[in-house]
Amino acid sequence: MAHVMVGKQKNIELQKESGKGRRFSKKALIYLLLVVYGLVNAYPMIWMFLNSFKSNIDFAKNPFGFPVQWMFDNYKTAWETAKLGTYFFNSVIVSVAAVAVTIFAGAIASYFLARFAFKWGKMVYAFFVFGMLIPIHATLVPMFLLMKSLGLLNTHIGLVLPYIAFNLPITIFILVSFMKSFPRDIEESAIMDGCGVFRIFFSIILPMTRPALATVIILNFINNWNEFSFALVLINDDSLKTLPLGLANFAGQFTTNYGAQMAGLTMAVIPVIIIYLLLEDHLVKGMTAGAVKG
Amino acid sequence: MHLLNRYKWPALIGIAPALIIYLLFAIVPIILSFYYSVMDWDGFTEMKFVGLANFKEALHDPVFWGALKNNLLVVAASVFGQVPLALFFALLINRKLKFGKVFRTLGFMPVVISTVIISLVWGMMYNSRRGLFNQLLEGIGLGDWAQNWLGDPKWAMFSVCVTIIWQFIGLYLIIFLAALQNIPEEIYEAAKIDGASGLKRTLYITLPMMRNTIMVAVILCISGSLRTFDLIYVMTTGGPGHTTEVLAMYMFDQTFSSTRYGYGSTLSLFIFFFSLALVYLSTLILRKRGD
Repeated sequence: MAHVMVGKQKNIELQKESGKGRRFSKKALIYLLLVVYGLVNAYPMIWMFLNSFKSNIDFAKNPFGFPVQWMFDNYKTAWETAKLGTYFFNSVIVSVAAVAVTIFAGAIASYFLARFAFKWGKMVYAFFVFGMLIPIHATLVPMFLLMKSLGLLNTHIGLVLPYIAFNLPITIFILVSFMKSFPRDIEESAIMDGCGVFRIFFSIILPMTRPALATVIILNFINNWNEFSFALVLINDDSLKTLPLGLANFAGQFTTNYGAQMAGLTMAVIPVIIIYLLLEDHLVKGMTAGAVKG
Repeated sequence: MHLLNRYKWPALIGIAPALIIYLLFAIVPIILSFYYSVMDWDGFTEMKFVGLANFKEALHDPVFWGALKNNLLVVAASVFGQVPLALFFALLINRKLKFGKVFRTLGFMPVVISTVIISLVWGMMYNSRRGLFNQLLEGIGLGDWAQNWLGDPKWAMFSVCVTIIWQFIGLYLIIFLAALQNIPEEIYEAAKIDGASGLKRTLYITLPMMRNTIMVAVILCISGSLRTFDLIYVMTTGGPGHTTEVLAMYMFDQTFSSTRYGYGSTLSLFIFFFSLALVYLSTLILRKRGD
């Protein structure tokens, strides 16, 4: 497929030399390719959305078009019988708690790692960043056993702790590189004025870090909101399940009711899509931060 | 800084909370898996020390090798599917088009959505009776081509790989777009004056200047695709007949379905070292070529 694409691009470029008419068709071709690309990306979600309003019969007869009759009941079924409300609530609690601790602990650690030149500072930083390389699946089994011996299986805290631990590396990575960019003399003058280090952090550094904090908060939230494997291993009690875990479960039970299944998925995906559309730049920055610096 | 020694204690206090949580819940589990990997334990009866028996078993386990092969297949599909496609579309979007940003937004969207949701939706799209693909094929008169995409051992791995490629093209698209925007405009202007055509500019200016970014993307792609688990778990649970088994899935199965915690921990260690080794190797290879 990639081969074909490269070939197409050559054609596009070759056409360039000859006249304006060709230039127009070249532009049209580019738009055509991009529209196809955009559709391929969006269509699965559109398909899910449209089918979430169909009855089973409607879905079988008319898989692509708009629903003949809009079945809002699917949403009611999904929300009530599938306990989507409970899962939703659990996801909010776990994600918010994990984000709050990660950001607070991460920001204060980043402050000392970025703004103070300790002997072991670089080592600690490297140790944190190493965490970005740990494949979380390699820790599922020992994490389960660890939580079991701590008595934290089937608790929200037991899920929040690994979420914090595995989001700290990227959080510290982003915050440290941001805080390092501030000019050196900022806290020097504050220290001269007799300001304590923690006060400098809260009243000078933290407000200055706001843009990076926004990025990190959104990134953390989405990561936790979407997380599946730890939840799968650590939570068994249905009333404590988070949304991804509950959805995987629910899809298994409702294999016959496609409409309700897609309604459930639509409800789960809408908050994420709204956050994404509103805060796209922050989210994109966060998710690609690891790559930009390599 | 000269003032710093005075702040040793505040610094310790400031770094401690993050460090403790990170140590306890990210590093300790890996150390624990070393311990459990030399044990035989079902979680209830007493643990038995078995030395390297678990490691030996893994190396003689055909499912383990099959899973490793599938992991490499996913890596290959990602590197050769995601990176070139992402680069191609990034080059198109970078042409200062009117609606360029819309395509960027659409392109990145799958990356943001939970893998569980993506797997469930694609699972329904692959459904043999009512799935999107089979209905589409029937609709254009190619009903004979309809397949049981996820249920047929011949097609299951292929179908899974298509979804994986689809899901993450956007990540590399964004990375490439950011790099493209960093290439100074003057270089292109100069090349234009020298008479370099669009294709030549892409081949001899853009791509060489993107080399570092492409390297980073490939490494990221390798380490990212090694982490495939959620998608397989939801779409196929490794089936049919282990044809879509990956290491993490097999580890999960052995640990939680067969309650073999020792063997599961051994498999965890394999995943850990395998990921680190592959990332390290790819960094080495790419760096060498860069010199």
